[in-house]
Amino acid sequence: MKRKAGRKAKSARAKRPRPARAPAKTKPANSGDALVAASAQALGLTLDPAWHDGIAFNLGLILRLAALVDEFALPDEAEPAPVFHA
Amino acid sequence: MLETAAGDFAWDSAATIAAAVAAGRVSATHIVEATLARIRERDPLLNSFTAVTERRALARAQALDAARAKGEKLPPLAGVPFAVKNLFDVAGLPTLAGSKINRDRPPAERDAALIERLEAAGAILVGALNMGEYAYDFTGENIHDGPSRNPHDLDRMTGGSSGGSGAAVGGGLVPLALGSDTNGSIRVPSSLCGIFGLKATYGRLSRARTFPFVASLDHVGPFARTVRDLALAYDAMQGLDPDDPVCADRAAEPTVPHLDKGIAGLRIAVAGGYFKGKTAEAVAAVDSVASALGANRDIDIPQAERARSAAFVITASEGAALHLDRLRARAKDYDPAVRDRLIAGAMTPAWLVVKAQKFRRWYRQEVLKLFAEVDAILAPATPCTAPLIGQETFKLGDVALPVRANLGIYTQPISFIGLPVVAVPVPLTPLPIAVQIIAAPWREDVALRIAHALEAQGVIAAPRPSF
Repeated sequence: MKRKAGRKAKSARAKRPRPARAPAKTKPANSGDALVAASAQALGLTLDPAWHDGIAFNLGLILRLAALVDEFALPDEAEPAPVFHA
Repeated sequence: MLETAAGDFAWDSAATIAAAVAAGRVSATHIVEATLARIRERDPLLNSFTAVTERRALARAQALDAARAKGEKLPPLAGVPFAVKNLFDVAGLPTLAGSKINRDRPPAERDAALIERLEAAGAILVGALNMGEYAYDFTGENIHDGPSRNPHDLDRMTGGSSGGSGAAVGGGLVPLALGSDTNGSIRVPSSLCGIFGLKATYGRLSRARTFPFVASLDHVGPFARTVRDLALAYDAMQGLDPDDPVCADRAAEPTVPHLDKGIAGLRIAVAGGYFKGKTAEAVAAVDSVASALGANRDIDIPQAERARSAAFVITASEGAALHLDRLRARAKDYDPAVRDRLIAGAMTPAWLVVKAQKFRRWYRQEVLKLFAEVDAILAPATPCTAPLIGQETFKLGDVALPVRANLGIYTQPISFIGLPVVAVPVPLTPLPIAVQIIAAPWREDVALRIAHALEAQGVIAAPRPSF
């Protein structure tokens, strides 16, 4: 049976922490610096050390907002918004 | 021609100018010359133009005057000067998109689609306008070209990223301008500069030959000082364009014929919850518009804060994907504030972006249900009036928020699902602020009708600056 997206069910889930998901993935308050350094290397970006704080601040902001999206449960069958027409 | 008695038409509407040109009360050449003189005189204060297309504009005006002299019927925007955010291609100019890097691009070979359509309707391009770098901005500040300045207080922001468009129209340099709106970049400057802005339904207006930012969120649209001008421009620009893969295969639906229908029968509600203003000016603006419309019902736009967050994530990631090669090669040539945001966007895990796109579809379905109950929803356009140039944070309730990322908190949840919005200016003192009139997809006519009724009541208007 399909899991149905319902506001009531979702807001209940939204308030409940999910122990199975490592918080570090979405709330890297203290791992942000490491993430910036590792990501820059993986992306082939050469960062001036002076930029580091600004990037870490913005990444923290993005991930904090992304956590709000992540905690909102949707069924596996939920389609992403953009649709490609052949 | 009574050129000496014609005046400079500085604060006249596009409709008035076009009628005067069509009737022969003034020549298009006179209108353009007066516009160019005004730009020379006032733009050093506003810093809204990055290029003035003087020769082209005069040639176009002379061609229109010659057509009229031959007895040809002139099109609906004949002789109306307009300017475009400098992410629109203008033949012969590099498309800057507010950046230093794009100055190295070759000149565009062809105008953007909307320039072609406005010129086909008789309007005359007079130049390209300042903007926030690569449109990742709500302030109207630009590190390379300097900030565009608010015509109501030159020490204050225009809002962005279409800051030059806001300053040029609000400051009386042109009656019409084009901008883009990915998360609020038409509605935020409309609010801070006290003018009208239309962000049409996603896919309604062609983005062909504009520099992109976030493909799945990018819109383009007009600014004006009256609702009729907004509708005239919108009607001239509608219609399928195969050059923009997102542009809808949908016949044009003219809105001008519907403007005078009034609001009888329309169900209008005020967005509650997340959208309840937290500053005196945002509250006063929405209250005055709601009161004039008899809109006494609140409606909840579900999960609006999450929608704003999802738009933020998608913007960061898609914007970063667009710029990653340039960041690898020329990161030092970016505005540091934009560079840091884009690099952070590149580091955002892909799975979060996919989840944001999934949430987007769910949110769209939920919000569309509301339009079974109402025809339009009112919400503030910005949380506050124009901050000072250089101001980094503003207070919302007890919380200090970064200006650059948060002037669009009320616009992002709406453009996220492509709904049409008319931003209407409430002329509060000392500074204006706008309200969003939000309609169902493809119902720009409804939002424009409501705006026109409010304008007739005198509740909303573009205030004339005193500088």
